[in-house]
Amino acid sequence: MSRSGMRDLGRLSAVALLAGALVAGCGSGGEEAQEPGGVTTLSLWHFYGPPESATGGALVRFLQRYEQAHPGVKVEPRHIPFGDFNRTILQSAAGGELPDIALIGATSTQAMAEAGIIEDLSDRVAKWGKQDAYLPSIWQTTQVGGKTYALPHVADTYAVYYNTELLDEAGVKPPKTWDEMAETARKLTSGDRQGLAVSGVEGEEGATALVIRILAAGGDVTKIDSPAANKALTQFKQLVDSGAMSKGIIGWNEEDVKNQFANGRAAMMINSATYVSTLRKENPDLKWKIALLPGDTRQVTFLAAENLAITSGSSHPDAAWDLMTWMQDPKALAEYLPDRNKLATRDDVPADGDEARSVFAEQLKSAWAPSGALAEHSSEVFTHVQGALQAAISGSATVDQALAEAQQKIDKTLAE
Amino acid sequence: MIARRSTGAATATGRPPNRRRVPLTAYLFVLPAVVFLAATVLYPLVFNIDLSFRDAGLRQIVTGDADFVGLDNYAEELANPDFRSALAISLIYTVLSVGVSFACGLGLAVFLNKTFPGRNLMRSLLLIAWVLPTVVSANIWRWILDGTYGLLNTVLGGLGLLDKGVFWLVEPTSALISVVTATVWSTAPFAMILLLAGLQSIPETLYEAARIDGAGPWQRFSRITVPMLRPVSMTVLLLLFVTTFKTFDTIYLMTRGGPGDATTILPIHAYLEAFQFFRFGTGAAATTVMLLIPLALSLFYFRSLRREEAS
Repeated sequence: MSRSGMRDLGRLSAVALLAGALVAGCGSGGEEAQEPGGVTTLSLWHFYGPPESATGGALVRFLQRYEQAHPGVKVEPRHIPFGDFNRTILQSAAGGELPDIALIGATSTQAMAEAGIIEDLSDRVAKWGKQDAYLPSIWQTTQVGGKTYALPHVADTYAVYYNTELLDEAGVKPPKTWDEMAETARKLTSGDRQGLAVSGVEGEEGATALVIRILAAGGDVTKIDSPAANKALTQFKQLVDSGAMSKGIIGWNEEDVKNQFANGRAAMMINSATYVSTLRKENPDLKWKIALLPGDTRQVTFLAAENLAITSGSSHPDAAWDLMTWMQDPKALAEYLPDRNKLATRDDVPADGDEARSVFAEQLKSAWAPSGALAEHSSEVFTHVQGALQAAISGSATVDQALAEAQQKIDKTLAE
Repeated sequence: MIARRSTGAATATGRPPNRRRVPLTAYLFVLPAVVFLAATVLYPLVFNIDLSFRDAGLRQIVTGDADFVGLDNYAEELANPDFRSALAISLIYTVLSVGVSFACGLGLAVFLNKTFPGRNLMRSLLLIAWVLPTVVSANIWRWILDGTYGLLNTVLGGLGLLDKGVFWLVEPTSALISVVTATVWSTAPFAMILLLAGLQSIPETLYEAARIDGAGPWQRFSRITVPMLRPVSMTVLLLLFVTTFKTFDTIYLMTRGGPGDATTILPIHAYLEAFQFFRFGTGAAATTVMLLIPLALSLFYFRSLRREEAS
């Protein structure tokens, strides 16, 4: 563009801005503030990743499809890294700078609702009437004190990834019970290869595998000084002592676990559906499949989900609601979910026929998520659960001591 | 002292007529800096201290109506075993890191103070450790110390010193030693540069005179280098202490404060309190304590500096 052209453009935009300000001034009597040209701009904050990343890109493309179908609306997504997300939302709430829509971790829903950061959507949901399509454990994460504060966005859950070549070599099949799991993991262990890898890293992330194991034994995460939790932790300890699980799990996050599996150092891993497409892309030669988690007295998995909420600072709640319901349309989801590599939260989304993802979808039906007092303090309680795992595995405490000590901390947390 | 007082008296009596105007413009010149500092340093500081006296949970932070509770948060933190453990680990970690870092920095500085071929190259290489972003160095250390594919185990195994992989970041004691090592690795070059500058300001004639008087290398070091380096050393120790005491990223990236609470230092404890468990009041109390310790040391330092100048 020539220099004079630039100057003209500058002048033009100045005039447009002035006109826009006038229009906005005149139209301030309405409920929903409209921007120049009748375009509503919706801001949406998320932690999926920058637009150029696989996960962030999928969301951006999804939102662009909405914009194409709705010329009067512009959606401005903003990525905030996961570690900073809740803090940024809080600071923005204190400063009155909230976005229209926040894509939040399902476990944060209760805390944000109680802090008055997100809006009660009960009336809108009643009119909408689609709540029965959702898996109950997922819908429950949107409920706070009998009211609905969010719509589910996507779900993810944990299942067993297994290396088919290594299992065939050892002549074993994916285990159906936790006893079989221990047996199979031992058979698959040789040299510097471990049978099973899970994440046991410091903090709540590292509690997932043990939580799954405790639930399978029929235990309760808030009562871990119990026979069921004792059975679960004792088995993990034995797996580590026998070398079937590495002592390194205490330092591994889920990404590290994926890497152990990807380079053949772990024959099986418990991990989320997030890594299905990553493994296909980064390790095309690796042969693997997904199996349902083993059961014990019951078979349960851990729900990782995200919810969409309208914030108390939104100036376009109606437009935000329209976007959120569009994002939950089964047809729109059928296109988005494989791109985003996540699972549907409702039962009326057409399946995409992918084998690995269909096992995850099946697994999701037995997903468990914290509720009530545990939901409010889940981050801290899971941190204590991981503390018990760490103490027992490193040998700084016996299984009994580790569980008793964690129980004290959990009781203190829940008493607040 | 007498000379100083007399010059003070001279300016007081011979005050120029436009003396009142000069400070005013001077104040105007520093005004932007003062406003900037007030907004970015003073305000958050006062806000944090104020918060430490309030019962601030998630809701109170949003609405801004946290109740004043006096010293309750401090009492709660002091009674909290997690806080006491974090304070103790912080002090152990800082004293160890500063001590080793200073010793290494001094050794390197004495070594690099001599002229030998490749000296400048070596000095530049050492500085890379200090310049490298923490995200990079902490992840490199994580990789080196990993139990299954780590470089350290491979090297030790190759030398026949290890027959089984050691998970350096999984055992409480070795995890603490590991984070100290990673910290020293990045701060020692910083100490080295400052101490080297100090060494180069010591007049060569002192050493020559000592040599003529028959002083050996150890005597020259302990009787000339050490006392002459005292002022610089004090500064280096204080700077190292302050930067190490507030370290967050190196440890958080390497161990997240684990295993258990073996490397949970005060900054990580405060972060967890405030941003993981949403107890802003006690989190702020922890950060205020975190502020007081280096502050007390700095005051002690400036006091001794003034005493030294006076004598």
